[in-house]
Amino acid sequence: MKLSAEQIERLYQFTRQHYVEYYDLQTELVDHLANAIEEQWQQNPKLSFENALQIEFKKFGVFGFMDVVEQRQSALNKKYNKLVLNELKTFFSVPKIIGTISAVGIVFYLLRYLQESLFIVQTLFFFLIISYFIGISILMRRNKIRRKQNGKKWLLKEIIYGYSSIAGLINIPIQFAIHIDDAKYNDGFLILVSFLLIILALTEYVMLILIPSKAEDFLKETYPEYKMIQ
Amino acid sequence: MKNSQLYKGSLTTIVMKLLEENGRMYGYEITQKVKEITKGELKITEGALYPALHKLEAEGVLEVEIENVDNRLRKYYKLTEKGTAETVNRLAELEEFIKNMQSIVNPKLA
Repeated sequence: MKLSAEQIERLYQFTRQHYVEYYDLQTELVDHLANAIEEQWQQNPKLSFENALQIEFKKFGVFGFMDVVEQRQSALNKKYNKLVLNELKTFFSVPKIIGTISAVGIVFYLLRYLQESLFIVQTLFFFLIISYFIGISILMRRNKIRRKQNGKKWLLKEIIYGYSSIAGLINIPIQFAIHIDDAKYNDGFLILVSFLLIILALTEYVMLILIPSKAEDFLKETYPEYKMIQ
Repeated sequence: MKNSQLYKGSLTTIVMKLLEENGRMYGYEITQKVKEITKGELKITEGALYPALHKLEAEGVLEVEIENVDNRLRKYYKLTEKGTAETVNRLAELEEFIKNMQSIVNPKLA
């Protein structure tokens, strides 16, 4: 005996009730539960759908689907970080590296030319940090509006549009900007600062503009079902 | 086998070996296959299998295919080129490990 379309819908609802928000993960768990229930029916055809479901769910342990969700999040976070890193790497290989080095050079000369105080350096860092948060909140809002239209949540999409582990790294430039002082103000230090500013700007560009613009491609590659559903 | 700690470290290798033999498989199929091969001695828990599959997928060892089967979508896993090469290494490692365990557990045989 096979599960009906209504029963499959009930399984989707069941995964949602047990804190699986993401459609990609729901789909996999629904198929698993459905197979397991059908297997139980072969042994015991009289077993009710709901009872069979409860028996299968218990096999996931006391935390239910939580473990699976958490680990899926960490796996896709790693994938996302790899995407960001790969894009960043292109700025440090031919031909883009020429532009990157020139940009560092320009910032360095500007800072040296204006070397009155640390104020400019700190302002630049804070400007980049603030623009990062503004960018992320714009992306999140846009994603929220789009989700309202088709209702499905895809984990990788949520990560791309704002929920990301790299966000924590933003603390490093904040600490750097706070803890620099005038005594270190020399050419070597300025080169380091220029380099960090450019890295930060590039990372923001990759995370806020480049990857979201390619999001559909990444999603189709990660989720073959993405095309079928959208 | 009651003590699942014993096979946990080898779970990914088990999955890769099965995929090498069977081409593509879906999650439930893998749990059933292991049960069948080991005659029910070894039961892969759902809570451990899917995280392992997702990790391998993120590492580029596995890729996925989706098919519509019986009113629902089914996600199949199969080895990538990188995964096929990696399987050889992991199996060699596992065999080495089993050999070492044997010489510890039963020094006379070794």
